[in-house]
Amino acid sequence: MPRPEVRMVTFSIDGREVEAPEGAMLVDGAKYGDVEIPVFCYEPKLGNPVGACRMCLVEIEGIPKLQTACSTPVKDGMVVHTQTARVREAQNSVVEFLLVNHPLDCPVCDKGGECPLQDITFGWGRGISRMVEPKRHFKKPLELSPLIAIDRERCILCYRCVRFSQEVSEDYQLILHERGAHSYVGTFDAHPYVAPFSGNIIELCPVGALTSRPYRFRARPWDIEGAGTVCTLCPSQCNVELTVRDERVLRVLGRDHAGVDDGWLCDKGRFAYQSVHSEERIVEPLVRDGDALRPASWERALSAAASALGKARGSVGAVGGGTTTNEEGFLLQRLLREQLSSGDLDVRQRGSDAVPLPLQRALSAPALQATVPDLEFAHTVLVLGTEPVDEMASLELRIRKGVRRHGVQLAVATPRPSALDPAAKLWLRYAPGAEHAFLAALEAALGASGDVDALCAAADADPKAVRALAEMLIEDGRGDVVILWGERVSADALPALLNVAGRLGLSGRDGAGLLEVPSSANARGLRESGFQPNAGPGLSELPTAGRSAREIAAAAADGQLAALYLLHTDPARDLGDAPLWRRAMARASTVVAHASFLTDELREHATVVFPAESYAEKEGTVTHPDGRLQRLRPGIGHPGAVRAEWSVLAELERRVRAGVPYGDPIPHTLPLTGPMASVQLFEAVPFYAGLTLEEIGGRGVRWQERAAAEAFPAGPTGPFDVGEPGAEPSPNGVLRLGTYRSIWASPEVEVSPALKFLSARAQLEVSPADADRLGIENGDRVTVSADDRTVSATVALRGNVPAGTVFLGEGLLEGGASELSNGVPQTVAVERTAVEVPA
Amino acid sequence: MTELLLFRDIDEPGLATIDVYKRRGGYQSLERALRMPREEVLQNLLDSGLRGRGGAGFAMGKKVSFLPKGAIDKYLVCNADESEPGTFKDRELMQKSPHMLVEGMIIAAYAADANRSFIYIRGEYEQQAEILERAIAEAEAAGYLGERILGSDHSQSLVLHRGAGAYICGEETGLLDSLEGKRGNPRLKPPFPANQGLYQGPTLINNVETLATVPTIIKLGGSEYAKFGTETSTGTKLVSVSGNVQRPGNYEIELGIPSREIIYGLAGGPERGRDVKLWFPGGSSSPVLEKKDLDLPYDFDAMAKAGSMLGSGAIIVVDDSVRVVDVALKLAKFYRHESCGKCTPCREGTNWTVKMLQRVESGEATPMDLDIIASVQDQIMGNCLCVLGDAMAMPVSSMVVKFRDEFEAHIEERRAANGLGAPHFDAPLDAALHGAPSGVHA
Repeated sequence: MPRPEVRMVTFSIDGREVEAPEGAMLVDGAKYGDVEIPVFCYEPKLGNPVGACRMCLVEIEGIPKLQTACSTPVKDGMVVHTQTARVREAQNSVVEFLLVNHPLDCPVCDKGGECPLQDITFGWGRGISRMVEPKRHFKKPLELSPLIAIDRERCILCYRCVRFSQEVSEDYQLILHERGAHSYVGTFDAHPYVAPFSGNIIELCPVGALTSRPYRFRARPWDIEGAGTVCTLCPSQCNVELTVRDERVLRVLGRDHAGVDDGWLCDKGRFAYQSVHSEERIVEPLVRDGDALRPASWERALSAAASALGKARGSVGAVGGGTTTNEEGFLLQRLLREQLSSGDLDVRQRGSDAVPLPLQRALSAPALQATVPDLEFAHTVLVLGTEPVDEMASLELRIRKGVRRHGVQLAVATPRPSALDPAAKLWLRYAPGAEHAFLAALEAALGASGDVDALCAAADADPKAVRALAEMLIEDGRGDVVILWGERVSADALPALLNVAGRLGLSGRDGAGLLEVPSSANARGLRESGFQPNAGPGLSELPTAGRSAREIAAAAADGQLAALYLLHTDPARDLGDAPLWRRAMARASTVVAHASFLTDELREHATVVFPAESYAEKEGTVTHPDGRLQRLRPGIGHPGAVRAEWSVLAELERRVRAGVPYGDPIPHTLPLTGPMASVQLFEAVPFYAGLTLEEIGGRGVRWQERAAAEAFPAGPTGPFDVGEPGAEPSPNGVLRLGTYRSIWASPEVEVSPALKFLSARAQLEVSPADADRLGIENGDRVTVSADDRTVSATVALRGNVPAGTVFLGEGLLEGGASELSNGVPQTVAVERTAVEVPA
Repeated sequence: MTELLLFRDIDEPGLATIDVYKRRGGYQSLERALRMPREEVLQNLLDSGLRGRGGAGFAMGKKVSFLPKGAIDKYLVCNADESEPGTFKDRELMQKSPHMLVEGMIIAAYAADANRSFIYIRGEYEQQAEILERAIAEAEAAGYLGERILGSDHSQSLVLHRGAGAYICGEETGLLDSLEGKRGNPRLKPPFPANQGLYQGPTLINNVETLATVPTIIKLGGSEYAKFGTETSTGTKLVSVSGNVQRPGNYEIELGIPSREIIYGLAGGPERGRDVKLWFPGGSSSPVLEKKDLDLPYDFDAMAKAGSMLGSGAIIVVDDSVRVVDVALKLAKFYRHESCGKCTPCREGTNWTVKMLQRVESGEATPMDLDIIASVQDQIMGNCLCVLGDAMAMPVSSMVVKFRDEFEAHIEERRAANGLGAPHFDAPLDAALHGAPSGVHA
């Protein structure tokens, strides 16, 4: 569905002539005339209005009954009154009715002071109470889930939370029990409401009925300050407001941005703030002293790192990820390339190869770039090789919204069953890692030369489904198609992806294009800042390409790299093939890391560990996968001895450069402030040219929409040589291993007390057919082995896992797929672990 | 004596079977209608002036004409969720003459160009549901339902669906939600069902009696039918008379006859020695009328003019042996029980009203509480999502206003009987009524 065009209409409200967009509901239209109409149940984010609370009744001339302003669209010439005696009486009445059963425990209610019911009672209530009967009583408060407390006495039954669960997150868990005055919100059979987006109902609740258990009784609204920044726990980069009290983050709220998050947060983003104040966090520099890492002064840590790196000149590899800002990535690549004569740096976590620069330029071309809102208005969205809820959470809600409210046709093509399958018009499976063959098949089905059936066989995909997908994508030729593709789509499959985009005419088309889901939060920004092996800042060409992440690991394990620099990444966990990385870290003579939490590898092998900033403390910019530069702004001060990391990197550069022989040219000055670092970055990336932090502001700016975008280095336009895809191992007799990284597989989850219960565990998803064959059942412990490596896992039967493939989580605290592979297709053997039966 | 249209053969043995029904002229109207163009059938419905018999009294032909034209999926739904206390006319119709409803639905669906139709029957009507199932099967076997009915271009399916016993599912949009398998809550209007009803498709919803009248209209011709009754309340109406009368039951009357003729003439009036205290002219949700209103003509307009409504045509008579407080409390409890809870005024208003009436009943109230009760009813009326809230507020309010003296006398009497002194709620009440700040609860 293309975006509707908006026309302005004029109507009168309380005697004022007001211009408002046609079709806007009166509640919103009234705001154009500075008239506030009180609401409880109305929340446009939840979809169509329900008109349940009756708070917004207004008088419209020509209509005898009062009308709900939340559900009445503004029309030309409409005459509306919100201040007449009749309207006042209705407003007073509704407030009185709501308070009939609402306990007046505001002094001990978390919501007190920031409560719409308080505000509206004050503004639109009668100010007296005539009810003398006993109020409704419920047991309270109860755990709706480990994260959310429910106080049913405070509930005004506005339906918001139920609508969220039913119509936004579509987890269908919350319902209203009973009816009439006995109605109450709950789940079937009183199961806890655990879902990836459950925390949003806390923010939606207009009273204190749903409160955050971690936040309960921690602060009152007059104790706290709000600090706007961006969550960098995943590539969604949702805009958030941190609730800060005494330099501690106590809560995270959404800061609605239609272009980014649509006002929703996942539970990781909402509750993982606890990791900021974890006892386990590293808050001072650590330097190796014999077998142990010991706290040290900054002076000592910096000079130790500088001298060790200086010695390893020409032989340093760096990997980045996590919360790394553009500035940090830019400064580190400059340090490596210009001072340490090393081009081995990477941010890409999956696949063995770097993406060739021409392909990168073609994929990132502004003309081919889809935006997040495009997902909502496209004719067709294809989710390719990614699971949004795990890898870029808020997109899941955006896709569901498009399907539910704007009639978007959704297609899902993934190896692993997706949470979006039920919302999709078409879903199909291919073998893990078979994107190359699958995309070649799709391209052939779209009319390119090539044998669809043979390619489908190589991908182990159903040719009928692939043809149906092709049909769906080209339907009527009118299609605005958005392809959401994940980093799991390996480099060799990308030419075919570009060809598919070319055949569908996505380039230069508003509302259509490609959108990448990278594996780390700021991967796009880091690549554009030059933090990658085969391109400098601004995707500029390099005389020689450096090593990719996997090549860095292999080289270091082989003794070819003397030093490793780990910027906010735990390679054994984030980059796959943990054993190889462990060998690499053991072999490298110097390991410098910026980290928040110690891992076994760091404890054993790190030379210097700099304490990393949390995103709540950081200053700098990040780039959203759709090209929106956003600002991180410090909400709290640095704990302990933590320093701004841009300054640590700049200081390292100064110290390393001090060793540069006298007379060598000094090409730039070092930044003295965070904004100076940003300016240097903007100057170095041609298509960021002229950007200022003020321009980015609180809402961000997409570089593609600025004039400087013309400086983007154009890539080839195709068609591209697709190459010969290899066949996937046949499912006969062997099990293919597919991997995924759960949203809950991250250290921030594990160290946040509230979220810990969700921490991802090693789970092997098996189809019932394979389980039968192997004689295993749900919940059994099994060993999964590939070559000489073995991990153990718990069996989870999933009916829609294709037979012949099993899925094992990666990025876990212990074990998991990272111990077995690097995301490269692989077969495994699964065996039931013998269990000793207690006598 | 009114000429009977719906009930002419109602006591004919075996009328529920297609054979007897056809012998009595059944399905001839259908054959006739299918030979007419759709527009002509619709014109007959418009000419008949038939107003909906379910309660709202909206012109049926007009409702049909609201459905968008064109080849889209359209639905016809028969509302057989007859749940209004005092109303039992549809029950007799469906039980004794189910084919009249089936025939009416086919003609109405033809006029509306709807191909899928449903009967939503209240769960408690088990026997009637079985009878209807049989009738539908017979009609299908006889070719009156299915593809290209009687060789015309009209095809239609008819499905009977049994509700689960909620009054709110008689509200048309609540019914649609329930039929779709959801919780039966009323929807916001607009959009009206004629535009977006069942499964978002244009939907015509009518009451059993309304649809059962359609064959008669086709048989007589719309304008001929309109000669029955008054100018704005055409036709005959089934009236369910209950309460303190000697011959309760369903009666078919011509609209516009004096109400007294129904209550005394047909239903025999209250027992000897008793007198009418009040009566509900149109089901338990209509504002009550008094003895002095007995000579009003029984039609839509006269009832509206008297401040009440004809509603579903269910007359409940209350004689002077019954305390009005009990009537009000019983009613309020019913509506509290049936409120779906979606909108605030109805959910909280019905609940609060019951609590206040209970205090009145037990003598723990003051006359000032009667003012609050009346004011709460005013706060409910017109402010709700659907009409359920009004359905309690209208009769309760009318009783409190019209029988205020009796309420006050009752309070005094009970308080004295209980040995209670001054009501112990008076302090906060005084404060409330004189505008003291809120929060001074007892």
